[in-house]
Amino acid sequence: MNGERRIGMLHLAGAVAMTIFCLGPIVYMALTAMSHRPDFLAPGAGFAFTAAHFLEVLRTESLHFPEYFRNSLVVSGFSAAFSVSVAAPAAYAVTRLAIPGRVAVLFAVLAVSMFPQVSLVSYLFKLMSAMGWINTYAALVLPYTAWILPLSLWILTSYFSRVPRDIDRAALVDGCGPLEALWKVIVPVAAPGIFSTALLAFIFAFNELLFALMLTTDHRARTIPAGIALFEGLHGETPWGAVMAAATLTVVPVVALTLVFQRRIIQGLTRGAVKE
Amino acid sequence: MGEDRSFRDLLRGYSFIAPLVAILLAFVFVPVVGTCIDSLYREVTFLPRAFIGLGNYQSLASDPGFRQSLRFTVLFVLASVPLELVLGLSFALLLHRPSPARGALRACVLIPWAVPAAVSGKVFELICNFQYGLANYLVQRIGLTDGPVNWLGSTGGAFFALVAGDVWKTAPFVAILFLAGLSAIPEDLYRQAAVDRAGPVQRFARITLPLLRPVFVVALLFRTIDALRVFDLVFVLTRGGPGGSTTSLSLYGYDAFTGGDFGYGSAVSVVLFLIAFTLSVAYVRIGRFGRELS
Repeated sequence: MNGERRIGMLHLAGAVAMTIFCLGPIVYMALTAMSHRPDFLAPGAGFAFTAAHFLEVLRTESLHFPEYFRNSLVVSGFSAAFSVSVAAPAAYAVTRLAIPGRVAVLFAVLAVSMFPQVSLVSYLFKLMSAMGWINTYAALVLPYTAWILPLSLWILTSYFSRVPRDIDRAALVDGCGPLEALWKVIVPVAAPGIFSTALLAFIFAFNELLFALMLTTDHRARTIPAGIALFEGLHGETPWGAVMAAATLTVVPVVALTLVFQRRIIQGLTRGAVKE
Repeated sequence: MGEDRSFRDLLRGYSFIAPLVAILLAFVFVPVVGTCIDSLYREVTFLPRAFIGLGNYQSLASDPGFRQSLRFTVLFVLASVPLELVLGLSFALLLHRPSPARGALRACVLIPWAVPAAVSGKVFELICNFQYGLANYLVQRIGLTDGPVNWLGSTGGAFFALVAGDVWKTAPFVAILFLAGLSAIPEDLYRQAAVDRAGPVQRFARITLPLLRPVFVVALLFRTIDALRVFDLVFVLTRGGPGGSTTSLSLYGYDAFTGGDFGYGSAVSVVLFLIAFTLSVAYVRIGRFGRELS
């Protein structure tokens, strides 16, 4: 029994260490954002609270932070919605319809998710330039939709395959077409799964950097990750208070989503990757 | 009649997949093929495009900058992926144990995963700040070093910072995968082992580890591919420095593109693509092979 107790203590110590490891950098970020000076750890400096950095980030027009934020929400929202709407019928076909080559489709799509982004980006840049779409939402939404499709298809396939077949077979017998069966029967039953998929797709799009850097040149369509990556102070030196305030504001929506939908996210992530 | 109907069903089935295939063709497959073709051309801004065959690849072979970035990328994978797997497995074991704080702990672990790499890159840049960053505060407080460490100004320090940043962000993802694997192990096995008086170490080595093998292969595959194509963290945290010593292959290709050399950047991207592709095929083969044996 003593051994079990020792393991219990080890677990407790491990859990504390894990929490500090995961939250430490986030807390440090938030503290720097709220600190009067960034060197509050230095001897004799001390921590004094201020909201000035947040106000600076939100009010300084040349920083364009509110625009980046709006762009990020629009681009990720549309990308997630498109990707799930395109992946849902495909997932239905893969799980329900007897079509040759469906396994090949799944694996081809999996292979896509292994491609390095840098091997697409120059062509996408030329394509979007030719279309005159640089600095528009379309230049980001289309590649993002494609980029998060593999994830969406795999997770949806896993959710759809768990919906009992008898339900939609009954609908088909009643004279529904496959599209109607998908829309009226499977979508309502698998709604939580579809929501989880859309949530993950949104987070992936929200965090993307390389396409955003290459396919935007100014604040009209630039998203937050690119904005933060290119954040520079007016005087050359990094204004850490403002950068961390921008970082903190960025993290708020993703962290809120993560905390509220923790179960769904974990389920979605593992459905996509691990066949139980 | 019957054949006609099955043909129509087939057509309808494919029409469900068609939008997905069309989008992937237009925005993934065609771009990749386009990049492969571009890599055979001299394509520099303001100069006429000219076919030069494998010329770009020949230049790559004798380019010290490319060799440096290839070396960095391989070292980065070798350093970060094993750490992420070990730490991820430890986290999963902690998260799997029933406790009143389990939900809160899981939420905690998800946070680094959800934070954009551009943000965590900036946070780690501040942590590594020479004058007042958290890292130097800690190493001096604990007494590991006499003076402050120049993390981002030295090759070793910058490499270490990148590995730390990547492990922080992705060990949680690995933990979530392992957690699903752990939950799939039937409790009966452990109960049986307890009856047989197997200790905790034996239970872990004889039951947990072997049954986690498929998840391990998946995690290894995902993490290796992701680490190979690392871009965000490097771009933000070190910008490839100091002296180009932490330039990943993705960043090297990106720098060629933004420098206006599309042919050369494409050649770099194709090399990275081939490495990633070969590895993923190899892993899938190995994973299958293991499953057939057991």
